[in-house]
Amino acid sequence: MAAAKKPAKKVTKPSSRAPKAASSSRPVAEKYTSTALSLESVSQDFARADLRFDGVDHSQSTFEARVFLNNAEANEKTPTTPESGYAGRFHIFGHGGCFGDVGHCEVRGPRRPFDPRPAHPLTPATKIVIATQAIRQALGKGKQVTVTVVPIVLSGTKLCDFKKVLKFDKISVVTYR
Amino acid sequence: MSNLTLRPSVEGLEQAPDQLQALRDAYGKMQALRGDDNRSWVYWAGLHGYPQWMCWHHGRVGQGNPRRYNLFLPWHRAFLLYFEHSMKDQNEKAVLPWWDWTSDTSHSIGLPSSFTDPQVDGAANPLYSGPVPSMLSVPEHTSARYPGSPAELPTADQVETLLSLSSFVDFTLQIEDIHDQIHGWAGGMNPANSDEGGDMGAVATAAYDPIFWSHHCMIDRIWYLWQLRQGVNNVPDDYVQKPLAPFGLTVGDVLDINRLGYEYGVTEQVLTTDGPA
Repeated sequence: MAAAKKPAKKVTKPSSRAPKAASSSRPVAEKYTSTALSLESVSQDFARADLRFDGVDHSQSTFEARVFLNNAEANEKTPTTPESGYAGRFHIFGHGGCFGDVGHCEVRGPRRPFDPRPAHPLTPATKIVIATQAIRQALGKGKQVTVTVVPIVLSGTKLCDFKKVLKFDKISVVTYR
Repeated sequence: MSNLTLRPSVEGLEQAPDQLQALRDAYGKMQALRGDDNRSWVYWAGLHGYPQWMCWHHGRVGQGNPRRYNLFLPWHRAFLLYFEHSMKDQNEKAVLPWWDWTSDTSHSIGLPSSFTDPQVDGAANPLYSGPVPSMLSVPEHTSARYPGSPAELPTADQVETLLSLSSFVDFTLQIEDIHDQIHGWAGGMNPANSDEGGDMGAVATAAYDPIFWSHHCMIDRIWYLWQLRQGVNNVPDDYVQKPLAPFGLTVGDVLDINRLGYEYGVTEQVLTTDGPA
């Protein structure tokens, strides 16, 4: 274990800790809306249904991602209700931007299958939203669905890009009996 | 049980002035040590984020195995254990408390008052903030928080739902998501500067904030409660031998918290030492 840097002197005062309502000073990040996705192969015969997001980037800010089905107009003010198509949410505890030198946060791929070292800490994440009722509701209305993901920035550092916080590779519906 | 350290709730600790003072004393002494002293606050926080980045979050692809695995829970259990040892090395009476963000008090006031009072008895409160070294464009400072509304904190019902999940992989993904939420909630954004968040809100700086340790203690406790329902050794077989660097432990070594020397409770009070001979 390498030594850490020398201790910091207390040079600034932390802010007030008084609880407050969701801050209006939060940056507004870009949302995502899919094209119409086919649910043809998904039957209604399930006990649980998940929306699985693969390849989710966590290198930047910390955010909440609200997921809506068939509501392309959804934004951070949209009620999180079934009537709004709200399916659930996931959260990302972000790295906070890159604090290293050139290449420090670069995840190189494809990973060699027998490399004994753990994969890069910024290997993209998988997030699962248990969305049984919302998917059942969407299936009740048709065999196509759009997925809108609204990122709400919760926290971050000066090194973060607060506009493009939401990056992922793939959305899947996974059902279970 | 007498040889086990009982980790109390923060609310329980606040009812036990001697224990609360011991925690402040231990944190204060660690924060006063030089950062290159491997007993110091800066050293331990730096293992998690900047500059050593050893923490485990989210799944990664395993060795010789295309399946992802996730050491979030066992890695942080080992991390807390050695941090607690280092803390006790400064004050043997200090114990690591868990912050129950589902409690009525938390849903009323948010962060516990013992962590939000800037000063105690006229001196800086070591539970309020800790030293953060300089890192790139972020200058050295003392940790800050801009917490959200208490109503946004997770509920006991949400935790109960987690405890009913029978698969470890399922459970760890869902509890990590709540963990992520709390980091964002506690860090928050500076209302006076919209491109600056609190330290809990980034992996780089989170562990420099004293509330980090009690948040993770809560996560560890929920894993323990899950283990009581779903099995202490309930992890995929191929997890057991995974190393938890740099602690010299494997996943299998940290499954039983009693073997690690601690237990979770709310409060502990000796009623008498005058029993029959």
